[in-house]
Amino acid sequence: MNTLYPFFKWANDTWLSQVINDSKWLFPAIEGVHIAALALLFGTILVMNLRLMGVMMPERPRSQLSRELEVWTLCSLVVILVTGVLLFVSEAVRSFNSGPFRIKIVLLIAAVLFHFTISRRLMREDERQHSAGLCKTAGVVAIGLWMGVGFAGRAIGFF
Amino acid sequence: MIGAGISVLISAAVWFLAVAIPSKTGSPFAPIRDLCQRIAETSVGRGILESVYAFPIIEGFHLMGIALSIGVLCWLDLRLIGIAFTDQPVSKVWRQVIPVASLGFALMFITGGLLFWAEAITAYDSVHFWIKVALILLAGINALYFEVVTHRGIEEWDSAPVPPLKARIAGLVSLILWTAVIITGRTMAYSF
Repeated sequence: MNTLYPFFKWANDTWLSQVINDSKWLFPAIEGVHIAALALLFGTILVMNLRLMGVMMPERPRSQLSRELEVWTLCSLVVILVTGVLLFVSEAVRSFNSGPFRIKIVLLIAAVLFHFTISRRLMREDERQHSAGLCKTAGVVAIGLWMGVGFAGRAIGFF
Repeated sequence: MIGAGISVLISAAVWFLAVAIPSKTGSPFAPIRDLCQRIAETSVGRGILESVYAFPIIEGFHLMGIALSIGVLCWLDLRLIGIAFTDQPVSKVWRQVIPVASLGFALMFITGGLLFWAEAITAYDSVHFWIKVALILLAGINALYFEVVTHRGIEEWDSAPVPPLKARIAGLVSLILWTAVIITGRTMAYSF
């Protein structure tokens, strides 16, 4: 883990980090955008996975819904990642020492990979091809992973 | 592009809150402040604040409540504006969205109440908290007005890809107000 420390130190000392730390309103502003994007991203993730589990919009074809949500998911993901990087840069060394931050990054990578491989494939392929049990499990895992990201993210502020 | 535009708007709102509106109240209204003091000093209030894990965990659930309520409700708002699910009747989107969003709102209000219980005095002294409460009330009034007034005669435009202006305004106002609630919820945590 310590081999990564120079990177965190470098991020912490960048010009961008200084600018955010010198301002009294920039950090909350970036955080506000981060959380608004979170609402949108989690909203699309929830609708998609609840559809996969057969809870929401059961009459709407999965592949169609998946395509409709895609642009919203991608846009909110871009916004949340950009603001997330800015928040990280402004307190990189603190993040390095934060347990929840490490958990969050691992869960985030897992959630994004799970979304763009398994979830998306289940949504796009013929519904009869996969059992309801498999889809329900995938939905629960995806929602669980994203909730983990949210909880760990919130915990960074405390631990 | 839209994401960047909205991000700039949100940042501008935070800048305005941070720079133009001092968050500390100058002349506290004593009786209510005393009440808040008493709320904060109850064993539950103290317990939440002093526990290492209670406050962060409740905050975590509060955040998940935001995702469940506002994140899912925004699809109804976007349908009302005429941006998303335009091939489906508004009433159908309503039936799909409201049960999940209601769950989220319940979670958000319960956890919000617990957070207030612990921080009643800090919240009372923060102008941003009162702005947030006002915005939530406005969002509630907007939803109630839609339910009671605009919703009548929905048969005429239920299947229209772009609903009439009054419905589009209701959707847009809801989106703006709930985003503003998120913003003030964040800014009340900082002392500007």
